[in-house]
Amino acid sequence: MNDLMLTEAVDSPREISCAAERLREVVQQNDISPQKILEIFEQWAAALDDRELRDVPGVVFLRLWLRRGTLEPILLRELGPDYLNAGWREDGHARLRAVPLGVVGHWPAGNIEIQPVLSLTCALLGGNGCLVRVPSDLREITQQIMEKLQEVDQSSLLTERTLLASFDHSRSDLQEAMARAVDGAMIWGGAEAVSQIRKLPFPHWARVTAFGPRLSVAAMDAETWCDEAERSSWCRRLARDVWQFEQRACSSPQTLFLECRAGCDPDKFVKDLMQAFQDESRLHPRRQIDPALTSGICLSRALWLLENTENRAMFPASPEWTILLGKGNEIPKPTQGRTLSVLLTDDLFKVISKFDGTVQTLGLAVKSAQREEEIALAAGRKGVDRVVKLGRMHLFSSPWDGTDLIRPMVRLVRHVRSQD
Amino acid sequence: MTTPVEIARGIESQLTAPLYGLDPKERHDCLLALLKKELAYACDRNPRFRNYVEHWPVDFQTADTIADLPYLPVGTFKTNPSLALVDANEIKRTLTSSATTGQVPSRVVLDGETAKRMTKGVTTIIKDFIGPARRPYLVIDTPENLRTQDEVGARGAAIQGLGSFATEVICCLRSDSEGNASIDLEKLLDCTAKWKQTEVLAYGFTYVIWTQLVQPLDRQGITLNAPNVRVLHSGGWKRLEREAVTKDAFIEGVASVFGCSTDRVIDFYGMVENVGVVYPDCEHGNKHVPAFAEVVVRDPLTLAPVAAGQKGLVQVCSALPTSFPGFLVLTEDMAEITNYDNCPCGRRGTSFRFAGRVPKAEVRGCGNLETTRHHPGQGNGLHE
Repeated sequence: MNDLMLTEAVDSPREISCAAERLREVVQQNDISPQKILEIFEQWAAALDDRELRDVPGVVFLRLWLRRGTLEPILLRELGPDYLNAGWREDGHARLRAVPLGVVGHWPAGNIEIQPVLSLTCALLGGNGCLVRVPSDLREITQQIMEKLQEVDQSSLLTERTLLASFDHSRSDLQEAMARAVDGAMIWGGAEAVSQIRKLPFPHWARVTAFGPRLSVAAMDAETWCDEAERSSWCRRLARDVWQFEQRACSSPQTLFLECRAGCDPDKFVKDLMQAFQDESRLHPRRQIDPALTSGICLSRALWLLENTENRAMFPASPEWTILLGKGNEIPKPTQGRTLSVLLTDDLFKVISKFDGTVQTLGLAVKSAQREEEIALAAGRKGVDRVVKLGRMHLFSSPWDGTDLIRPMVRLVRHVRSQD
Repeated sequence: MTTPVEIARGIESQLTAPLYGLDPKERHDCLLALLKKELAYACDRNPRFRNYVEHWPVDFQTADTIADLPYLPVGTFKTNPSLALVDANEIKRTLTSSATTGQVPSRVVLDGETAKRMTKGVTTIIKDFIGPARRPYLVIDTPENLRTQDEVGARGAAIQGLGSFATEVICCLRSDSEGNASIDLEKLLDCTAKWKQTEVLAYGFTYVIWTQLVQPLDRQGITLNAPNVRVLHSGGWKRLEREAVTKDAFIEGVASVFGCSTDRVIDFYGMVENVGVVYPDCEHGNKHVPAFAEVVVRDPLTLAPVAAGQKGLVQVCSALPTSFPGFLVLTEDMAEITNYDNCPCGRRGTSFRFAGRVPKAEVRGCGNLETTRHHPGQGNGLHE
């Protein structure tokens, strides 16, 4: 077993700087071809098809993510075909080649179980070494997933490039040591976490890329939700998007804007949506909850109904799920915890005009392709980075937050031949 | 339709019933019937409240238990305008909670009747723990908190609520020109010397007692030699927890400074939103529910009542208010149900132990936004 790969409880800045040096040496001394990485990832995906991991949220997606069929097109788009063949790309009278930054530090958020692994796969695809701070709640899950990599990576080509470090987020000495030791950083999280990590003393050459904080919304036009044949399946898709990650992900829909027209009854839609929520609840019941979230859900329900006597809400006696129904064009403050605001609007473009840069993903269900294109463009201009079909809001792909996932963690070396 | 007179009779009946002596089932059924009438009345008086109650998953009129009735989360009392069941001209006092810096306090409005019941409720409960006699009252606070005003904070309300036990009142803290409180040692030593042989009542907020009385006197090695004092304190442990002061250390520190036994130091739990009800610790360390109130401890996962021995979110209930809908309030506190009856102290009904504030969520995900580019208020107003 490679001792670099274990999720170690790190206790001193020196441990971190030494580990980073070892990772840097590995990266500098041993080139690894993208094709080889894709091959190991493919085997890793197969190894993750394990009964023990089946209930871990996101592992099904991770298996899909690690497939060559998913990653090769991303590498092609971000870095071009020559990178896949570990070669130089002609660029006029010069040549370009992507090389790893070196050691990339990863600060994943604590709310997405597979995020430490997703983050490190992006940097590994660039040939980097990875120093990952694993949030304490995710330590066990991350370890389980990484053990599967260890099983298939017989020559330790990837595991020797990886260190998973576990320490309390309040240990500023360790956070600083990690920042000083890296050449690049991938930061994921809420506003407070991202702004604190950005302030760490990274070397001036380090490339720091932050993902989040963002929020996401869903929207449906009247033609879609009034169609009785399709309505319940759209509701099921939306419920799946709401359920994943307890609505704490930046790609989680917090509000559904429902475009209305004469003759369409929102009550019928809400009835189907309630059914979809109940079904999803049966399939994926909560096993635990933070009491603060329970308080927040109860308060949201009450404030919504007390604020305006026209507002309505549907919820069971437990905090399992909540639908807050009203009218409006603006995104209410999210509650999370499977609490969806459903706002009736007369025009989706009015809604989009209110967006600021905080909206990451717009999940859509729109009948007319032309209108959808117009909506996508309008949303893009108002800061939305992803416009996707409802039910696929969490599908992790590149670009994310409008940024490539692999390209930021490599350098493009330009070579002009001296003899030319 | 239930009339206010019928409700008033029902409340009076609960207020005069044996405080901790009723059979739990009998008490529950009486209270359930009364709370249903109060809810119906509140729905008539306040359309916003009615909208909330009408959306509750269980029709309150057919509910079999108090736990099924619609409760309001405590944060709803922070809204502006405050939730009221009376017209503005009927409001005699407004109570505000002790919000820490940057937080919005709760505000509850009292009409004359509710204010009277609040005093009666608190007095009846405290009497059960310290006896009915009037005695000198040492307020471990500044005189500013004794002033009668239209708007009273939690500290002032608690201090004034015990005033009916007082033969005379002395405040042993003073404020400087910048509002900083410090001990008035001369006054304190004078009065404790004068009251040495007398039963004395002392009250202060928990952290005020610790930081303004116990610590300064301890540093100076002063003991007050007041063995007959009863020290009541309330107001939360958050600040003391930050200084790693345990409940036991607090009690021993207070007893040591006063020169009394530790059983004379009594913690009580109360909140302005749960009007007229306080929960002092009995000699077995448990808090008890009086005849006109109830406590439900709810499992955060299901919101169903927990079994004895389990912890959860505290919901307090009081039959006393008719000026605001504070009958059933879900707090942001945690507690453990110690028993649903038969505490060794002899008090019947639900007993519980406070287990701290609901911890703030630690995990903050990538969907956790704290700032937007919107102007203040836009897009943030609906779910505050």
